[in-house]
Amino acid sequence: MANKIKNKIGKYKFHFVLLLGVTIAYLLQFAANKAVEYTSTDKYCFSCHLHDHAEESWRFSPHVNNKGGIIVHCVDCHLPPKGSGHLLAKAKHGSKDLYGMLFKDSTDFNWASKRNATKANEFTYQESCLKCHSNLFPTSLSVKGEDSHLYYEANKNELTCLNCHLHVGHYNPNALHASNVDFGLEDTNKEIYTDAHEITSFKNFTEKIPGTSVSFDMVAVPAGEFKIGSPKGEDYRKKSEGPVKNVKISRFFMAKIEVSWNEYLAFFNETASEGRKETTDENDKKESEVDVISGATPPWGAPDQGWGKGIRPAITMSYHAAEVYCKWLSQVTGKKYRLPTEAEWEYAARGGKTSPYFFEGEPSNYSNKSTWNKIFGQDTSVIARYVIYDANSEGKTQTPNMVKENPFGLVNMLGNVSEFCSDWYSPKAYAQYKTKTIIDPKGPAKGKEHVVRGGAFNSDASAVRSAARDYTQTKKWLKTDPQMPKSIWWYSDCVHVGFRVVCEVDSEISKKELVKE
Amino acid sequence: MSKKEVSRRNFIRKTATATVFGAIGMSAILSSCSKKSQKELGLPPLLDKAPKGKKLKAGLVGCGHRGTGALLNFLSSGYGLEVVALADVFEDKVEACRTRLKKYKIELDDDKCFVGFDAYERLMESDIDVVLLATPPHFRPDHFKKAVEQKKHVFMEKPVAVDPVGIRSVIASAKKAEVLGLNVVTGTQRRHQRDYIATYEQVANGAIGDIVAAKAFWNQEHVWFRRREDEWTDMEYMLRNWNNFCWLCGDHILDTHIHNIDIINWFTGKHPISAVGYGGRHRRVTGDQYDFFSIDFDYGNGLFSHSMSRQIDNCANATGELIVGTEGYTNCKNTIYNLDGSIKWQYEYPKDKEGKSTNVVKIPPYIQEHIHLVTAIRTNEYVNEAERTALSTLTAIMGRESAYSGKKIKWEEIMKSELKLGPKEYTMGDVDMEFEVPIPGTAIKS
Repeated sequence: MANKIKNKIGKYKFHFVLLLGVTIAYLLQFAANKAVEYTSTDKYCFSCHLHDHAEESWRFSPHVNNKGGIIVHCVDCHLPPKGSGHLLAKAKHGSKDLYGMLFKDSTDFNWASKRNATKANEFTYQESCLKCHSNLFPTSLSVKGEDSHLYYEANKNELTCLNCHLHVGHYNPNALHASNVDFGLEDTNKEIYTDAHEITSFKNFTEKIPGTSVSFDMVAVPAGEFKIGSPKGEDYRKKSEGPVKNVKISRFFMAKIEVSWNEYLAFFNETASEGRKETTDENDKKESEVDVISGATPPWGAPDQGWGKGIRPAITMSYHAAEVYCKWLSQVTGKKYRLPTEAEWEYAARGGKTSPYFFEGEPSNYSNKSTWNKIFGQDTSVIARYVIYDANSEGKTQTPNMVKENPFGLVNMLGNVSEFCSDWYSPKAYAQYKTKTIIDPKGPAKGKEHVVRGGAFNSDASAVRSAARDYTQTKKWLKTDPQMPKSIWWYSDCVHVGFRVVCEVDSEISKKELVKE
Repeated sequence: MSKKEVSRRNFIRKTATATVFGAIGMSAILSSCSKKSQKELGLPPLLDKAPKGKKLKAGLVGCGHRGTGALLNFLSSGYGLEVVALADVFEDKVEACRTRLKKYKIELDDDKCFVGFDAYERLMESDIDVVLLATPPHFRPDHFKKAVEQKKHVFMEKPVAVDPVGIRSVIASAKKAEVLGLNVVTGTQRRHQRDYIATYEQVANGAIGDIVAAKAFWNQEHVWFRRREDEWTDMEYMLRNWNNFCWLCGDHILDTHIHNIDIINWFTGKHPISAVGYGGRHRRVTGDQYDFFSIDFDYGNGLFSHSMSRQIDNCANATGELIVGTEGYTNCKNTIYNLDGSIKWQYEYPKDKEGKSTNVVKIPPYIQEHIHLVTAIRTNEYVNEAERTALSTLTAIMGRESAYSGKKIKWEEIMKSELKLGPKEYTMGDVDMEFEVPIPGTAIKS
């Protein structure tokens, strides 16, 4: 009998094992599903993501606070939909979060700097937006909305929903999504200057913009000789930074800080025009219009990105706008203001030094491009004293008083915002100079884009070297401007470039100086 | 070697052979079937009559000759089709249409006949299923938008707008219509003309090789115009003479030449990336439009189309298209030629009682398009031609603006342009507008 049972068990052993296996597999899968479910709840997400009112800003956003009574959960946006790499992305982000939780302190992160379209696209999924918002043309859509969505459909490879709808998941009370017609209009009861400063000798002075209460400091940069470009061994050097050439520079005045919002708004308020004209070609202007400078149109949204104005550097103005600003400033002050040449800029930035920075340290010690630095951190106490860059900027421009000046007395040459120069950009600009020593070079005779020098608040240490070069990218920087013709005054997609003015030393000063002697 | 092994080897050999033959056979079958079907090519169903189904009530907006014609085309495309409402800006137009309909024993009540600039709104708010939009094209974007809002199926005449702002509105409304399942057919009737369709099928299946160049032409005698009558206000005059004012008509490169341009876009499967054109005005009597255009449309990668349109008497006048490929060329309508000029293929028209070719398609394209619309509504075979016709209209606008300005106009420029023609509001009075005929370029500075 016992044998019989044994035999029976033996006979069904295979089935038994199979059943057991299936049960275990089922239980495991059930557990795994439960784990996935549990780790996908908002509550679970917020148990670690306490930072920067992530939860509050989400609750105030239209993804929670809406008429339809629908709640869009964390994983609905921050993971791709199921079937589009959902679990893989969950594993990727999950392990990153786990690593961050174990080895990093969330208070060290600069959360505000991650609230821009580029960063946000790294942890928000376009497929997820479109999974719910599958109808981009609801009957209630406005004409502006229609135009924008048609533009998106024609440029799907380059645009995501976040280019326009950045704050839909996390409410930002400062975000503005409208034509900013009141921009820069402020009442002030400060002293209004009637006259500009009069230059009598070659020394530092404070310029006063007549008709406004705005003033700014100009630094006398003495004439001298220096080597433009970077030597071959310099860390993170690019080929366009060479060959090194000897350059002689005549003396000039240069603004101590980058043109601030105070200064730029003085221009804007005085010259702002109502709307875009059909023709933007200078040659098409009627004779009567030549002397009258017509300035920028009202911007779209908040050009200061909500970071504040005042003495913070002005940003998002176009190269054309910067040039017109100089023309206007020259007109109201009776001097010759302009953008610096690339050579003047580098001469001023180096302050007599041949090292990568005007202060101590090698780029490879400071840069985040090195894996070693990334993992073990780096001592940035020196560089942080002089430069606003990605490690100390909190992801936005800072006021100039946060850093120390360079040997010439200039502030923020290497960081905070990149600066327009008057030269046309060419990667071979230096090679094109034939003589051994060049005197006051002005760059290539022709070109498509202009030189941009100096790093910015979002630059790595490798890009804030004195020799680092960059250039305007007109098309890219206007990508989301929905108008045609696109604005000639404001870049829609560039927040890291501003400019600094130089003032030419008038021959009159030389005469006055002689008289004094 | 055991028996088992042998048999396995045999098995492998046999299956391998079978696989090879199978693959060859399969590919032979596939290649013989590679001709693309009508559906794959996006061609309309070519029925002689729309299928029976639920009764469809139609309203007509724009009761002129084309509007009335479109209405009769609609009514004759199948059974169970009715007209229940008319709208026009002028009362005499509505009355004339009503009188014509009486001949077909169709009587319309006064309260179903709407007059004025807002007539279309009241018509669309009434109980109808289909609207036919046949006013001057200036008004089409607003009418189409309203139709979609009121959830009506739409037939609308070409061109579908006169400016880029209107074009974008039409495309957006088209997308809204698609979401709502509203069918839209447009009056680019060559796309519903059986000989054109058959020729397109030939070309799409490689009959002329790869397309390398094209031309499109609509050169004809002068068209109708009205001289102003004393009691007419500015607005009434322009509306009654709409065919001669750019803001209403879009100029004749849109009004008529659009048909040819649309054929080139259809056969090449794309729209041009830019246009350089010229034109002028020598013979016209009224209005502000040109009477000839010559446009070079650049379709990219070396492909171009020469587009000609003229409305002047006693010239070398003709209309049509020509597309040249690497292996032949075609008139797009009914014939494919070899590169040496010999005929490779020809469309077979129905024959008369004596066995001679009638040279006309069995169902007139103006009715065929309505058969398509009614079929789509009744069988849920969705159709929406608004966007493609908007793109062809925009192609013509790009050409027009290039000719008017003398400049090269790119597709992305015209697509985003804020150009909007016409007065800010529509009232039956005097209009503060200037009607200078555009002159390209700038004057010589001497």
